[in-house]
Amino acid sequence: MKRRNFIKGFCTASALAVAVSPSSLLAKDAPKSGNKLSLDMAITAITGGKAVAESKKVSLTVPEIAENGAVVPVKVHVESPMTDNDYVKAIHVLASKNGNSRCADVMLTPLNGKGYFATRVKLGGTQDIVALVEMSDGTFLKTSKPVKVTIGGCG
Amino acid sequence: MAEARKSMIKFKPKKFKVGDTIKVDFIVIHPMETGTKKDKKTGNIKPAHYIDNITFSLDGKPFTTMKVWETVSTNPYFSVNLKVPAKGKITVDYTDNTGEKNTKSKKLKPKG
Repeated sequence: MKRRNFIKGFCTASALAVAVSPSSLLAKDAPKSGNKLSLDMAITAITGGKAVAESKKVSLTVPEIAENGAVVPVKVHVESPMTDNDYVKAIHVLASKNGNSRCADVMLTPLNGKGYFATRVKLGGTQDIVALVEMSDGTFLKTSKPVKVTIGGCG
Repeated sequence: MAEARKSMIKFKPKKFKVGDTIKVDFIVIHPMETGTKKDKKTGNIKPAHYIDNITFSLDGKPFTTMKVWETVSTNPYFSVNLKVPAKGKITVDYTDNTGEKNTKSKKLKPKG
């Protein structure tokens, strides 16, 4: 190998290394969990392959920008009469890019009176929060909202 | 049950009647360890420790059950609605992934 080529190669390699390192560092910080599930896998696990419709009946309240990813308040409201025949069966809260995207599964009954659930979740970085709702007739509704995270809350 | 965890049940609003829909908030002091963090002193990875099952029940009859993962924040807060049918007792049972079981209960006293 000629000296010139060697130096050229070395320079590009080091430049690449510098460019790559921030993302690889981030990858190291990403949560590694035993029951690692991506968003698509989690959704299929919940629905069992059924179609999911985007719906305005489900409203999701999340902050646009979360200063601290460790505490992100999430509120889910579902329009439903909550009678014995027509009620919200389950609310699933998912985060699209967390190592384990499932946050909470909430099984409701008509006694709840309203389709409502609120909690606080950790987010590893900027991503979408997805609320997946199962109605008592077996249909699945979904809505999602992006959250910008300044400081990640995992790791 | 190693030690009783600090937990709290709140009704919002505080005053309510039979038939009203109220919020039942449940807060518990729990580390919710993800199993990815390193202990700064020892350098070992802290084992995962999080609440995984929660049951809200009214007079022993469950009305909301939850399955929760480590992605929920430290000292978690869960809020659900309840349409008050009558006087009763709200009990929240929760278990974590280490098998720790705890309960917390509060009386439901509707006025009027």
